[in-house]
Amino acid sequence: MNTLHFKVGLFAAASLLLVGIFMVYLLHARGFFDKTFHLQLAAASADGVAPGVPVVFSGIEIGRVTTLGLNENGGIIIHAEFLDRNARWLKENSSFILDKPIVGGAKIRVDSPDLQAPALPDNATMLLLTSDISKEIPALVERVKAILANVEHLTRKDGEINATLANVKTVTGRMTGEYGVLEGVLGSPEKARAVTDSLDKTRALITRLDAMTAKTDQWLFARDGMAEQTKASLAQVRLMLNDAQSSLKKADAVMANTVEISANIKDGTQDIAQLRTEIDDAVRKANDLINEINRKWPFAREPEVKLP
Amino acid sequence: MAAVAALPDDVARVAPDLPLRANLSALDNIALIPLYQRHCSAAESVRLAQAMLERLGYADLAPLRDPDMTPAQRFATKLARALILRRPRLVIDHPGAMLYDVPYPAFIRQLAERAEMTGTWEIFDFGWNQALYRA
Amino acid sequence: MNFLAASIESLGAKVVGWFTVGYGMFAFLVQASLLLLEPATWNRATFDVVVKQVYFTAVQILHVFLGYAMVISWLFITIILSTARDFGLTEFASEMTIRVLVLELLPFLTALFVALRSGSAINTEVALMRVNNELDALAHCKVPPMQFEFLPRLIGGVVSVVTLAGLAGLLAILMGYLAIYGMNAAGFEPYTRTIAKIFDFRIMAGLIVKCALFGLAVTLIPVTAGLETPKKLFMVPVSVLRGMMRVFFAIVAIEVVSLALKYI
Repeated sequence: MNTLHFKVGLFAAASLLLVGIFMVYLLHARGFFDKTFHLQLAAASADGVAPGVPVVFSGIEIGRVTTLGLNENGGIIIHAEFLDRNARWLKENSSFILDKPIVGGAKIRVDSPDLQAPALPDNATMLLLTSDISKEIPALVERVKAILANVEHLTRKDGEINATLANVKTVTGRMTGEYGVLEGVLGSPEKARAVTDSLDKTRALITRLDAMTAKTDQWLFARDGMAEQTKASLAQVRLMLNDAQSSLKKADAVMANTVEISANIKDGTQDIAQLRTEIDDAVRKANDLINEINRKWPFAREPEVKLP
Repeated sequence: MAAVAALPDDVARVAPDLPLRANLSALDNIALIPLYQRHCSAAESVRLAQAMLERLGYADLAPLRDPDMTPAQRFATKLARALILRRPRLVIDHPGAMLYDVPYPAFIRQLAERAEMTGTWEIFDFGWNQALYRA
Repeated sequence: MNFLAASIESLGAKVVGWFTVGYGMFAFLVQASLLLLEPATWNRATFDVVVKQVYFTAVQILHVFLGYAMVISWLFITIILSTARDFGLTEFASEMTIRVLVLELLPFLTALFVALRSGSAINTEVALMRVNNELDALAHCKVPPMQFEFLPRLIGGVVSVVTLAGLAGLLAILMGYLAIYGMNAAGFEPYTRTIAKIFDFRIMAGLIVKCALFGLAVTLIPVTAGLETPKKLFMVPVSVLRGMMRVFFAIVAIEVVSLALKYI
């Protein structure tokens, strides 16, 4: 027996075996033996998304973007691939958020709030939210809360408006002030301004929310195959926003009216009573809106928003 | 010297300036030629080389390498390598430079008898050694 | 003026020298590759010489090499892990370890190891063959030395560097796992994920090509440097010195180009 040949043979066999095992392991790791799971994501913009962008769940990569494309309506469709064993983290109520951190590459974050929910079918189409919008909404909700709290504070039963209304005698003297009846009713120009400011802010905020949902609408309805439930809930948000806005418009009209008819105390007080109900209404609507947003929008994790 | 080096291709030379491959055994040195020139199989080449050494009476030096041989053994190996080329002429170039430990004209004659080779053997040597060949 | 002309002339001479060396290597490589295509090359004898070369280049030093790879891997893994922990980047530690060791450092060190041990030996041997007229003797016998002297060395070098680098890489992957997760199977999933992330087809192909080029560089360059030696015994050390210098530059150049292709 040739020992040299034996040793080389042993070396070659061992190396080939190890390399073979590693190759099989690598193919297993890369999911060669697994089925791949496909997912389509509809997005408003493909900015920062490229083939190879990872899809992460709880910080762990479970898939990758494979291709980007446009559908017939000009909407963006992102195709992502997952290993079958990783696809079990994708649920029907999962949300997909495009994260573009200041440092590091873009990634698509998957949040599955309820792991008991039914799994997504292969080739499902989901909505890809950008983290810009998702960050904006909680902030907006916070602001809505603050302003509504202010409005509600001014108009509560034992609030300053009611207290002032009881004291009608002192009212007449103040009717000639800058804020007219409202100043008279509220007792000081500052307080009157606080009410109008609050209403202005609420109005502006709701306009922005509205614009945002309109944008959402635009990229939601631009394509087909969007989950019905998401579509319906967003439409609802829009309706509610419209409602809230019309309430505010009424409140606005009342305010204008109030200032105009400052000469007539009797009319003025009646109007102020009406204003109160309108403001209450606006507050209630906005309240509902927030609750609705919180319930329907997938990224709000808090079960409820407490309003004063 | 120059005339010898410029001999045509059909001449096999045994010369001090054509050494054996140092890290191959005598047998492998000879077997190289059928192996790479005539594309014989490895086993066939080794068999041919062994047969050639046996014919010259040096079968026992098959495993030796160049540095381990005596000048006579080295000469025999070189001669075997030249013979296995199967060229019509064989030129032994300055045998005195290679065979300094034996009376070389007799030694070469003895080898030539064993080799049973057809064709001519020519010996180029220094003129002052001519007397040695008259024995 | 004279000085300028002289320096231009010396520059020209250098450039011509580089081109000559480069062309020599290229021509040699082409000759070797053409020989590879010939069916007559693929015989038992060539195979035996290749086996012998693989034995001398890889098998003979396997235990020493693996011990050395283990020490280097262990050192680097420890350094990377402790640094990553200090900076709160532990999640990147395993990826960093594999990238640095398996993809870059170990193939490079393998090439240097084989160059120092086998490359210098090949260079000396070829230079001595040339100085001792052994090559002329082979030419006289009409036996081209390429097939049984040089080509097996090239093949042996490529096979050895690829295999040794692969074995060292596997060892490093194993040691990385043990260093990060210890003797249990808990880290198998995340480690597998990291490995899957790093080794895509492109990276694997690049790694194998790089190792093959290393293997070629550490054998081809010494052979051609040896063949260039003037027929004087005292030129043998000079030839080895030049050859090893070229091998070193070639290894660095291959590494730099591979890095550039990967990350730029």
